[in-house]
Amino acid sequence: MNFAEKLSKGKFLITAEIAPPRGTDFKDILESIKPLKGKVDAFNVTDCQRSNVRMSAVAMSKILLENGFEPIFQITCRDRNRIALQSELLGAWALGIKVVCVMTGDFTTLGDHPESKPVFDVDSLGLLEIVKKLNSGTLLNGRELKGKPSFTVGAVFNPYAGPKRLQVEKLKLKVELGARFIQTQPIYDAKLARETHELISSFGAIPILGILPLRSPKMARFMEKLNPGSVPKELVERLEESQNPVEYGWKKALELSEEIAEFGRGIHFMLVGKIKELAQFAVYLKRRNHEVRENSRSRWNNNGR
Amino acid sequence: MVVVKLKDFEEIVAFVKTNRLAILGCELGAGRCLNGGLKKAKALKEKFENLGFTVVTVKTVGGACVLEHTEKMLGKLSLGKDTTVVSLSCGAGTQVIAEYLGLPTVSATDTLFIGAEKKGLFERYCDACGDCIISQTGAICPVSRCPKSLRSAPCGGAVNGKCEVNGKPCVWFEIENRTKIVPKVIIPNYKKVFEVDAEDE
Repeated sequence: MNFAEKLSKGKFLITAEIAPPRGTDFKDILESIKPLKGKVDAFNVTDCQRSNVRMSAVAMSKILLENGFEPIFQITCRDRNRIALQSELLGAWALGIKVVCVMTGDFTTLGDHPESKPVFDVDSLGLLEIVKKLNSGTLLNGRELKGKPSFTVGAVFNPYAGPKRLQVEKLKLKVELGARFIQTQPIYDAKLARETHELISSFGAIPILGILPLRSPKMARFMEKLNPGSVPKELVERLEESQNPVEYGWKKALELSEEIAEFGRGIHFMLVGKIKELAQFAVYLKRRNHEVRENSRSRWNNNGR
Repeated sequence: MVVVKLKDFEEIVAFVKTNRLAILGCELGAGRCLNGGLKKAKALKEKFENLGFTVVTVKTVGGACVLEHTEKMLGKLSLGKDTTVVSLSCGAGTQVIAEYLGLPTVSATDTLFIGAEKKGLFERYCDACGDCIISQTGAICPVSRCPKSLRSAPCGGAVNGKCEVNGKPCVWFEIENRTKIVPKVIIPNYKKVFEVDAEDE
Protein backbone atom coordinates (compact mmCIF):
# COMPACT_ATOMS: atom_id res chain seq x y z
CA MET A 1 0.00 0.00 0.00
CA ASN A 2 1.47 3.37 -0.90
CA PHE A 3 1.33 6.61 1.06
CA ALA A 4 -1.73 7.96 -0.76
CA GLU A 5 -3.67 4.75 -0.16
CA LYS A 6 -2.72 4.70 3.52
CA LEU A 7 -3.81 8.33 3.75
CA SER A 8 -7.19 7.49 2.22
CA LYS A 9 -7.65 4.44 4.42
CA GLY A 10 -6.93 6.44 7.56
CA LYS A 11 -3.81 4.46 8.55
CA PHE A 12 -1.50 5.91 11.17
CA LEU A 13 1.30 7.54 9.16
CA ILE A 14 4.95 7.87 10.04
CA THR A 15 7.12 10.13 7.93
CA ALA A 16 10.75 11.06 8.34
CA GLU A 17 12.89 13.74 6.82
CA ILE A 18 16.04 13.39 4.78
CA ALA A 19 18.22 16.07 3.25
CA PRO A 20 19.86 15.32 -0.12
CA PRO A 21 23.67 15.36 -0.05
CA ARG A 22 25.88 18.39 -0.58
CA GLY A 23 27.41 16.79 -3.64
CA THR A 24 26.63 13.82 -5.84
CA ASP A 25 27.29 10.93 -3.49
CA PHE A 26 24.04 9.66 -2.00
CA LYS A 27 25.16 6.18 -0.93
CA ASP A 28 25.65 7.03 2.75
CA ILE A 29 22.14 8.48 2.98
CA LEU A 30 20.56 5.37 1.47
CA GLU A 31 22.63 3.15 3.75
CA SER A 32 21.63 5.15 6.84
CA ILE A 33 17.88 4.86 6.25
CA LYS A 34 17.90 1.17 5.34
CA PRO A 35 16.56 0.06 8.75
CA LEU A 36 13.51 2.28 8.16
CA LYS A 37 12.46 0.49 4.97
CA GLY A 38 8.88 -0.70 5.40
CA LYS A 39 8.67 0.96 8.85
CA VAL A 40 8.45 4.60 7.89
CA ASP A 41 5.69 5.25 5.35
CA ALA A 42 7.37 8.04 3.41
CA PHE A 43 10.41 10.30 3.48
CA ASN A 44 10.17 14.06 3.06
CA VAL A 45 13.01 15.06 0.76
CA THR A 46 13.91 18.63 1.60
CA ASP A 47 14.36 21.30 -1.08
CA CYS A 48 17.67 22.98 -0.21
CA GLN A 49 16.59 23.29 3.41
CA ARG A 50 17.38 26.58 5.17
CA SER A 51 18.46 27.84 1.70
CA ASN A 52 21.61 25.72 1.66
CA VAL A 53 22.55 24.14 -1.67
CA ARG A 54 21.95 20.39 -1.85
CA MET A 55 21.31 17.91 -4.64
CA SER A 56 17.91 18.53 -6.24
CA ALA A 57 14.97 17.15 -4.29
CA VAL A 58 13.44 15.66 -7.46
CA ALA A 59 16.63 13.72 -8.18
CA MET A 60 16.89 12.50 -4.58
CA SER A 61 13.19 11.55 -4.58
CA LYS A 62 13.73 9.46 -7.73
CA ILE A 63 16.77 7.80 -6.11
CA LEU A 64 14.61 6.90 -3.10
CA LEU A 65 11.95 5.41 -5.38
CA GLU A 66 14.51 3.28 -7.19
CA ASN A 67 15.69 1.95 -3.87
CA GLY A 68 12.31 1.02 -2.46
CA PHE A 69 11.52 4.08 -0.35
CA GLU A 70 8.52 6.31 -0.93
CA PRO A 71 9.41 9.99 -1.24
CA ILE A 72 7.43 13.10 -0.38
CA PHE A 73 8.92 15.69 -2.69
CA GLN A 74 9.16 19.02 -0.87
CA ILE A 75 8.90 21.94 -3.22
CA THR A 76 9.37 25.59 -2.26
CA CYS A 77 8.84 28.93 -3.99
CA ARG A 78 12.26 30.30 -3.09
CA ASP A 79 14.17 29.49 -6.29
CA ARG A 80 11.58 28.96 -8.99
CA ASN A 81 9.03 31.16 -10.70
CA ARG A 82 5.69 29.76 -11.87
CA ILE A 83 7.23 28.48 -15.10
CA ALA A 84 9.90 26.48 -13.29
CA LEU A 85 7.50 25.24 -10.59
CA GLN A 86 5.10 23.77 -13.14
CA SER A 87 7.90 22.26 -15.20
CA GLU A 88 9.49 20.69 -12.10
CA LEU A 89 6.17 19.23 -10.93
CA LEU A 90 5.40 17.71 -14.34
CA GLY A 91 8.88 16.20 -14.43
CA ALA A 92 8.51 14.81 -10.92
CA TRP A 93 5.25 13.08 -11.81
CA ALA A 94 6.76 11.62 -15.00
CA LEU A 95 9.53 10.14 -12.85
CA GLY A 96 7.01 8.41 -10.59
CA ILE A 97 6.94 10.89 -7.71
CA LYS A 98 3.35 10.92 -6.48
CA VAL A 99 3.37 12.92 -3.25
CA VAL A 100 4.39 16.56 -2.86
CA CYS A 101 4.56 18.80 0.18
CA VAL A 102 4.47 22.47 -0.74
CA MET A 103 5.73 25.44 1.23
CA THR A 104 6.85 29.02 0.61
CA GLY A 105 10.42 28.26 1.68
CA ASP A 106 13.08 29.97 3.73
CA PHE A 107 14.54 33.30 2.70
CA THR A 108 17.77 33.29 0.70
CA THR A 109 19.89 35.35 3.09
CA LEU A 110 19.55 32.66 5.78
CA GLY A 111 21.49 30.12 3.72
CA ASP A 112 24.92 29.47 2.22
CA HIS A 113 24.46 31.71 -0.83
CA PRO A 114 23.01 34.80 0.85
CA GLU A 115 23.79 36.99 -2.19
CA SER A 116 21.40 35.03 -4.45
CA LYS A 117 18.14 36.39 -5.84
CA PRO A 118 15.04 35.41 -3.87
CA VAL A 119 12.27 34.44 -6.31
CA PHE A 120 8.94 33.99 -4.42
CA ASP A 121 6.98 34.61 -7.64
CA VAL A 122 4.09 32.81 -5.92
CA ASP A 123 3.73 31.71 -2.29
CA SER A 124 2.60 28.39 -0.79
CA LEU A 125 -1.04 29.25 -1.57
CA GLY A 126 -0.21 30.06 -5.19
CA LEU A 127 1.79 26.85 -5.43
CA LEU A 128 -1.17 24.84 -4.10
CA GLU A 129 -3.29 26.49 -6.78
CA ILE A 130 -0.70 25.44 -9.38
CA VAL A 131 -0.72 21.78 -8.23
CA LYS A 132 -4.51 21.83 -8.23
CA LYS A 133 -4.57 23.10 -11.81
CA LEU A 134 -1.98 20.55 -12.97
CA ASN A 135 -3.95 17.76 -11.28
CA SER A 136 -7.04 18.94 -13.16
CA GLY A 137 -5.17 18.71 -16.46
CA THR A 138 -4.20 22.30 -17.22
CA LEU A 139 -1.37 24.72 -16.68
CA LEU A 140 -1.88 27.72 -14.42
CA ASN A 141 -2.78 29.72 -17.55
CA GLY A 142 -5.51 27.24 -18.50
CA ARG A 143 -3.69 25.49 -21.37
CA GLU A 144 -4.42 21.80 -21.56
CA LEU A 145 -1.78 19.24 -20.60
CA LYS A 146 -0.83 16.21 -22.64
CA GLY A 147 -0.87 13.71 -19.80
CA LYS A 148 -1.75 15.00 -16.36
CA PRO A 149 -0.43 14.26 -12.89
CA SER A 150 -2.50 13.22 -9.92
CA PHE A 151 -0.40 14.37 -7.00
CA THR A 152 -1.32 13.71 -3.41
CA VAL A 153 -0.68 17.10 -1.86
CA GLY A 154 0.48 18.14 1.58
CA ALA A 155 1.37 21.44 3.18
CA VAL A 156 2.86 22.70 6.45
CA PHE A 157 1.70 24.52 9.57
CA ASN A 158 3.62 26.20 12.38
CA PRO A 159 1.45 26.17 15.53
CA TYR A 160 3.65 28.81 17.18
CA ALA A 161 3.47 31.40 14.40
CA GLY A 162 1.40 34.55 14.40
CA PRO A 163 -0.78 36.44 13.94
CA LYS A 164 -2.81 33.47 15.11
CA ARG A 165 -6.07 34.33 13.33
CA LEU A 166 -4.31 34.78 10.00
CA GLN A 167 -2.30 31.58 10.42
CA VAL A 168 -5.45 29.59 11.07
CA GLU A 169 -7.21 31.19 8.08
CA LYS A 170 -4.20 30.39 5.92
CA LEU A 171 -4.21 26.78 7.11
CA LYS A 172 -7.90 26.51 6.28
CA LEU A 173 -7.26 27.88 2.79
CA LYS A 174 -4.40 25.42 2.26
CA VAL A 175 -6.80 22.56 2.93
CA GLU A 176 -9.44 24.10 0.66
CA LEU A 177 -6.81 24.33 -2.08
CA GLY A 178 -6.21 20.60 -1.88
CA ALA A 179 -3.74 19.90 0.94
CA ARG A 180 -4.78 16.47 2.21
CA PHE A 181 -2.14 16.20 4.91
CA ILE A 182 -0.47 18.86 7.04
CA GLN A 183 2.97 18.40 8.57
CA THR A 184 3.92 20.64 11.48
CA GLN A 185 6.88 22.21 13.19
CA PRO A 186 8.28 20.17 16.12
CA ILE A 187 5.92 19.91 19.07
CA TYR A 188 7.09 19.21 22.65
CA ASP A 189 3.86 19.46 24.56
CA ALA A 190 0.99 16.94 24.64
CA LYS A 191 -1.71 19.59 25.04
CA LEU A 192 -0.48 21.55 22.03
CA ALA A 193 -0.18 18.29 20.06
CA ARG A 194 -3.83 17.54 20.74
CA GLU A 195 -4.99 21.09 19.95
CA THR A 196 -3.01 21.15 16.70
CA HIS A 197 -4.38 17.74 15.76
CA GLU A 198 -7.91 18.96 16.35
CA LEU A 199 -7.42 22.22 14.48
CA ILE A 200 -6.03 20.53 11.36
CA SER A 201 -8.64 17.76 11.51
CA SER A 202 -11.43 20.31 11.83
CA PHE A 203 -10.59 21.59 8.34
CA GLY A 204 -10.61 18.07 6.93
CA ALA A 205 -6.89 17.35 6.50
CA ILE A 206 -4.77 14.63 8.09
CA PRO A 207 -2.42 16.06 10.74
CA ILE A 208 1.11 14.63 10.77
CA LEU A 209 2.61 16.17 13.89
CA GLY A 210 6.31 17.08 13.98
CA ILE A 211 8.64 15.40 16.46
CA LEU A 212 12.26 16.46 16.78
CA PRO A 213 14.05 14.72 19.66
CA LEU A 214 16.16 17.17 21.68
CA ARG A 215 19.80 16.15 22.13
CA SER A 216 21.11 18.85 24.47
CA PRO A 217 20.03 21.89 26.50
CA LYS A 218 21.71 24.00 23.79
CA MET A 219 19.46 22.49 21.14
CA ALA A 220 16.44 23.03 23.39
CA ARG A 221 17.31 26.70 23.77
CA PHE A 222 17.80 27.01 20.00
CA MET A 223 14.37 25.50 19.33
CA GLU A 224 12.86 27.80 21.93
CA LYS A 225 14.50 30.79 20.24
CA LEU A 226 13.16 29.66 16.85
CA ASN A 227 9.65 29.07 18.14
CA PRO A 228 9.18 30.91 21.45
CA GLY A 229 6.95 28.96 23.81
CA SER A 230 7.61 25.64 22.06
CA VAL A 231 9.88 23.91 24.59
CA PRO A 232 8.43 23.64 28.11
CA LYS A 233 10.71 25.09 30.82
CA GLU A 234 10.66 21.85 32.74
CA LEU A 235 12.00 19.95 29.75
CA VAL A 236 14.95 22.31 29.40
CA GLU A 237 15.72 22.03 33.12
CA ARG A 238 15.61 18.24 33.04
CA LEU A 239 17.89 18.18 30.00
CA GLU A 240 20.33 20.39 31.91
CA GLU A 241 20.27 18.11 34.95
CA SER A 242 20.48 14.92 32.92
CA GLN A 243 23.71 12.88 32.77
CA ASN A 244 22.71 11.73 29.33
CA PRO A 245 20.66 14.45 27.59
CA VAL A 246 20.54 12.55 24.28
CA GLU A 247 18.81 9.60 25.94
CA TYR A 248 16.55 11.86 27.98
CA GLY A 249 15.49 13.88 24.93
CA TRP A 250 14.85 10.66 23.01
CA LYS A 251 12.80 9.22 25.87
CA LYS A 252 10.63 12.35 26.05
CA ALA A 253 10.13 12.30 22.26
CA LEU A 254 8.99 8.68 22.48
CA GLU A 255 6.60 9.43 25.34
CA LEU A 256 4.97 12.24 23.38
CA SER A 257 4.85 10.09 20.23
CA GLU A 258 3.10 7.36 22.16
CA GLU A 259 0.51 9.84 23.36
CA ILE A 260 0.00 11.09 19.82
CA ALA A 261 -0.45 7.50 18.63
CA GLU A 262 -3.40 7.28 21.02
CA PHE A 263 -5.39 10.10 19.46
CA GLY A 264 -3.51 11.15 16.31
CA ARG A 265 -3.22 10.20 12.67
CA GLY A 266 0.49 10.56 12.06
CA ILE A 267 3.94 11.67 13.18
CA HIS A 268 6.69 13.36 11.23
CA PHE A 269 10.16 12.60 12.65
CA MET A 270 12.90 15.13 11.99
CA LEU A 271 16.67 14.91 12.40
CA VAL A 272 16.70 11.22 13.15
CA GLY A 273 19.98 10.11 14.66
CA LYS A 274 18.66 6.90 16.20
CA ILE A 275 17.60 5.10 13.05
CA LYS A 276 17.44 1.57 14.46
CA GLU A 277 15.57 2.72 17.55
CA LEU A 278 13.11 4.65 15.40
CA ALA A 279 12.59 1.59 13.19
CA GLN A 280 11.55 -0.49 16.20
CA PHE A 281 9.53 2.30 17.69
CA ALA A 282 7.65 3.01 14.46
CA VAL A 283 6.33 -0.56 14.50
CA TYR A 284 5.27 -0.17 18.12
CA LEU A 285 3.53 3.18 17.47
CA LYS A 286 1.45 1.76 14.64
CA ARG A 287 0.45 -1.21 16.75
CA ARG A 288 -0.46 1.10 19.63
CA ASN A 289 -2.59 3.28 17.35
CA HIS A 290 -4.29 0.19 15.97
CA GLU A 291 -5.03 -1.14 19.47
CA VAL A 292 -6.50 2.14 20.66
CA ARG A 293 -8.74 2.37 17.62
CA GLU A 294 -9.85 -1.25 17.97
CA ASN A 295 -10.62 -0.69 21.66
CA SER A 296 -12.64 2.41 21.05
CA ARG A 297 -14.50 0.62 18.27
CA SER A 298 -15.38 -2.35 20.48
CA ARG A 299 -16.31 -0.03 23.34
CA TRP A 300 -18.58 1.80 20.92
CA ASN A 301 -20.10 -1.49 19.79
CA ASN A 302 -20.60 -2.69 23.38
CA ASN A 303 -22.27 0.57 24.34
CA GLY A 304 -24.46 0.25 21.31
CA ARG A 305 -25.94 -3.02 22.48
CA MET B 1 11.07 59.10 -2.69
CA VAL B 2 13.87 57.08 -4.21
CA VAL B 3 16.33 56.10 -1.52
CA VAL B 4 19.97 55.45 -2.37
CA LYS B 5 23.08 54.30 -0.53
CA LEU B 6 26.58 55.59 -1.24
CA LYS B 7 28.91 52.92 -2.58
CA ASP B 8 32.29 52.25 -0.96
CA PHE B 9 34.81 54.78 -2.22
CA GLU B 10 37.10 52.04 -3.59
CA GLU B 11 34.25 50.72 -5.74
CA ILE B 12 33.62 54.21 -7.18
CA VAL B 13 37.29 54.95 -7.90
CA ALA B 14 37.79 51.62 -9.67
CA PHE B 15 35.63 52.78 -12.61
CA VAL B 16 37.14 56.25 -13.05
CA LYS B 17 39.51 56.23 -16.03
CA THR B 18 40.37 59.95 -16.39
CA ASN B 19 42.08 62.49 -14.13
CA ARG B 20 39.37 65.13 -14.62
CA LEU B 21 36.10 64.66 -12.78
CA ALA B 22 32.73 66.34 -12.48
CA ILE B 23 30.76 65.31 -9.37
CA LEU B 24 27.02 65.69 -9.82
CA GLY B 25 24.32 64.95 -7.27
CA CYS B 26 20.60 65.23 -6.77
CA GLU B 27 18.65 66.95 -4.03
CA LEU B 28 15.36 65.15 -4.59
CA GLY B 29 15.45 61.53 -3.39
CA ALA B 30 19.15 60.85 -3.18
CA GLY B 31 19.79 64.19 -1.49
CA ARG B 32 16.93 63.89 1.00
CA CYS B 33 18.36 60.68 2.33
CA LEU B 34 21.70 62.48 2.67
CA ASN B 35 23.55 60.02 0.48
CA GLY B 36 23.39 61.82 -2.83
CA GLY B 37 23.17 65.52 -1.95
CA LEU B 38 25.63 68.39 -1.97
CA LYS B 39 27.25 67.50 1.35
CA LYS B 40 28.18 64.00 0.22
CA ALA B 41 29.22 65.33 -3.19
CA LYS B 42 31.65 67.74 -1.54
CA ALA B 43 33.02 65.02 0.73
CA LEU B 44 33.57 62.85 -2.33
CA LYS B 45 35.41 65.72 -4.05
CA GLU B 46 37.84 65.89 -1.17
CA LYS B 47 38.50 62.16 -1.29
CA PHE B 48 39.19 62.26 -5.03
CA GLU B 49 41.47 65.31 -4.67
CA ASN B 50 43.45 63.53 -1.97
CA LEU B 51 44.19 60.85 -4.56
CA GLY B 52 45.38 63.48 -7.06
CA PHE B 53 42.24 63.79 -9.23
CA THR B 54 41.18 67.18 -10.59
CA VAL B 55 37.56 67.90 -9.75
CA VAL B 56 36.35 70.59 -12.16
CA THR B 57 32.89 71.03 -10.67
CA VAL B 58 30.54 69.87 -7.92
CA LYS B 59 26.87 70.47 -8.61
CA THR B 60 23.50 69.15 -7.50
CA VAL B 61 20.07 69.52 -9.04
CA GLY B 62 16.59 69.18 -7.61
CA GLY B 63 15.66 66.05 -9.49
CA ALA B 64 18.36 64.82 -11.88
CA CYS B 65 15.88 62.30 -13.29
CA VAL B 66 13.84 65.18 -14.74
CA LEU B 67 15.52 65.95 -18.08
CA GLU B 68 14.53 69.65 -17.96
CA HIS B 69 16.11 70.06 -14.54
CA THR B 70 19.31 68.37 -15.60
CA GLU B 71 19.43 70.53 -18.76
CA LYS B 72 19.06 73.62 -16.60
CA MET B 73 21.80 72.49 -14.22
CA LEU B 74 24.23 71.43 -16.90
CA GLY B 75 23.19 73.69 -19.78
CA LYS B 76 26.04 76.17 -19.71
CA LEU B 77 28.55 73.82 -18.16
CA SER B 78 31.35 72.95 -20.52
CA LEU B 79 33.23 69.85 -19.59
CA GLY B 80 36.13 68.59 -21.66
CA LYS B 81 35.90 65.25 -23.41
CA ASP B 82 38.49 63.82 -21.03
CA THR B 83 36.13 64.30 -18.05
CA THR B 84 34.41 61.52 -16.13
CA VAL B 85 31.12 62.25 -14.43
CA VAL B 86 30.64 60.80 -10.95
CA SER B 87 26.92 60.81 -10.19
CA LEU B 88 25.37 60.60 -6.75
CA SER B 89 21.87 60.54 -8.16
CA CYS B 90 19.65 57.46 -8.26
CA GLY B 91 19.82 55.01 -11.17
CA ALA B 92 17.34 57.03 -13.21
CA GLY B 93 18.99 60.41 -12.57
CA THR B 94 22.45 59.06 -13.35
CA GLN B 95 21.25 57.76 -16.72
CA VAL B 96 19.65 61.10 -17.60
CA ILE B 97 22.90 62.92 -16.74
CA ALA B 98 24.93 60.46 -18.84
CA GLU B 99 22.53 60.78 -21.80
CA TYR B 100 22.61 64.55 -21.69
CA LEU B 101 26.38 64.95 -21.37
CA GLY B 102 27.49 61.97 -23.44
CA LEU B 103 30.49 61.51 -21.15
CA PRO B 104 31.78 58.45 -19.29
CA THR B 105 29.67 58.28 -16.13
CA VAL B 106 30.28 56.40 -12.90
CA SER B 107 27.52 55.79 -10.38
CA ALA B 108 28.49 56.51 -6.80
CA THR B 109 25.29 55.04 -5.36
CA ASP B 110 23.20 51.88 -5.15
CA THR B 111 19.49 52.63 -5.59
CA LEU B 112 17.54 50.77 -2.92
CA PHE B 113 13.80 51.41 -2.83
CA ILE B 114 10.99 53.92 -2.78
CA GLY B 115 10.98 55.00 0.82
CA ALA B 116 9.08 56.90 3.44
CA GLU B 117 10.99 59.53 5.41
CA LYS B 118 10.20 59.66 9.10
CA LYS B 119 12.28 61.93 11.33
CA GLY B 120 15.37 61.47 9.21
CA LEU B 121 14.99 57.71 8.84
CA PHE B 122 14.10 56.11 5.55
CA GLU B 123 11.94 53.01 5.41
CA ARG B 124 11.31 50.71 2.45
CA TYR B 125 7.65 51.30 1.58
CA CYS B 126 7.41 50.42 -2.11
CA ASP B 127 9.29 48.24 -4.60
CA ALA B 128 7.47 49.52 -7.70
CA CYS B 129 6.20 45.98 -8.38
CA GLY B 130 3.66 47.26 -10.90
CA ASP B 131 0.72 45.34 -9.44
CA CYS B 132 -0.30 47.22 -6.29
CA ILE B 133 -2.36 45.31 -3.74
CA ILE B 134 -2.42 47.71 -0.81
CA SER B 135 -6.15 48.36 -1.19
CA GLN B 136 -6.53 44.77 0.01
CA THR B 137 -4.02 44.94 2.86
CA GLY B 138 -5.06 47.96 4.87
CA ALA B 139 -2.86 50.31 2.80
CA ILE B 140 0.24 48.56 4.10
CA CYS B 141 2.55 47.06 1.47
CA PRO B 142 3.72 43.51 2.21
CA VAL B 143 5.41 43.27 -1.19
CA SER B 144 8.14 45.71 -0.15
CA ARG B 145 7.99 45.27 3.61
CA CYS B 146 8.03 41.45 3.78
CA PRO B 147 11.32 39.99 2.47
CA LYS B 148 9.41 37.17 0.75
CA SER B 149 6.89 39.71 -0.64
CA LEU B 150 4.03 37.56 0.66
CA ARG B 151 0.80 39.04 -0.68
CA SER B 152 -1.81 36.70 0.77
CA ALA B 153 -0.82 35.87 4.35
CA PRO B 154 2.23 35.67 6.62
CA CYS B 155 4.74 32.81 6.58
CA GLY B 156 5.51 30.91 9.76
CA GLY B 157 8.91 32.46 10.29
CA ALA B 158 8.35 35.48 12.52
CA VAL B 159 9.72 35.10 16.04
CA ASN B 160 7.79 37.06 18.67
CA GLY B 161 6.32 39.18 15.89
CA LYS B 162 9.77 39.97 14.48
CA CYS B 163 10.79 38.91 10.97
CA GLU B 164 13.36 36.12 11.06
CA VAL B 165 15.11 37.64 8.05
CA ASN B 166 15.74 41.22 9.18
CA GLY B 167 14.59 41.39 12.80
CA LYS B 168 12.06 44.13 12.02
CA PRO B 169 8.42 43.84 13.15
CA CYS B 170 6.62 41.47 10.77
CA VAL B 171 4.49 43.61 8.48
CA TRP B 172 1.68 41.05 8.66
CA PHE B 173 1.15 41.86 12.35
CA GLU B 174 0.74 45.48 11.36
CA ILE B 175 -1.75 44.50 8.64
CA GLU B 176 -3.65 42.34 11.14
CA ASN B 177 -3.92 45.31 13.53
CA ARG B 178 -5.24 47.54 10.75
CA THR B 179 -7.70 45.22 9.04
CA LYS B 180 -8.95 41.65 9.30
CA ILE B 181 -8.33 40.19 5.88
CA VAL B 182 -9.36 36.72 4.79
CA PRO B 183 -6.42 35.21 2.89
CA LYS B 184 -6.96 34.25 -0.73
CA VAL B 185 -4.71 33.15 -3.56
CA ILE B 186 -3.04 36.21 -5.07
CA ILE B 187 -0.86 35.51 -8.08
CA PRO B 188 0.89 38.72 -9.09
CA ASN B 189 0.89 39.99 -12.65
CA TYR B 190 4.44 41.05 -13.46
CA LYS B 191 3.46 41.68 -17.05
CA LYS B 192 1.79 44.91 -15.96
CA VAL B 193 5.12 46.49 -15.12
CA PHE B 194 6.66 45.58 -18.48
CA GLU B 195 3.67 46.61 -20.57
CA VAL B 196 4.19 50.24 -19.68
CA ASP B 197 7.33 51.87 -21.00
CA ALA B 198 6.23 55.46 -21.11
CA GLU B 199 3.33 57.23 -19.46
CA ASP B 200 2.22 60.63 -20.63
CA GLU B 201 1.48 62.13 -17.29
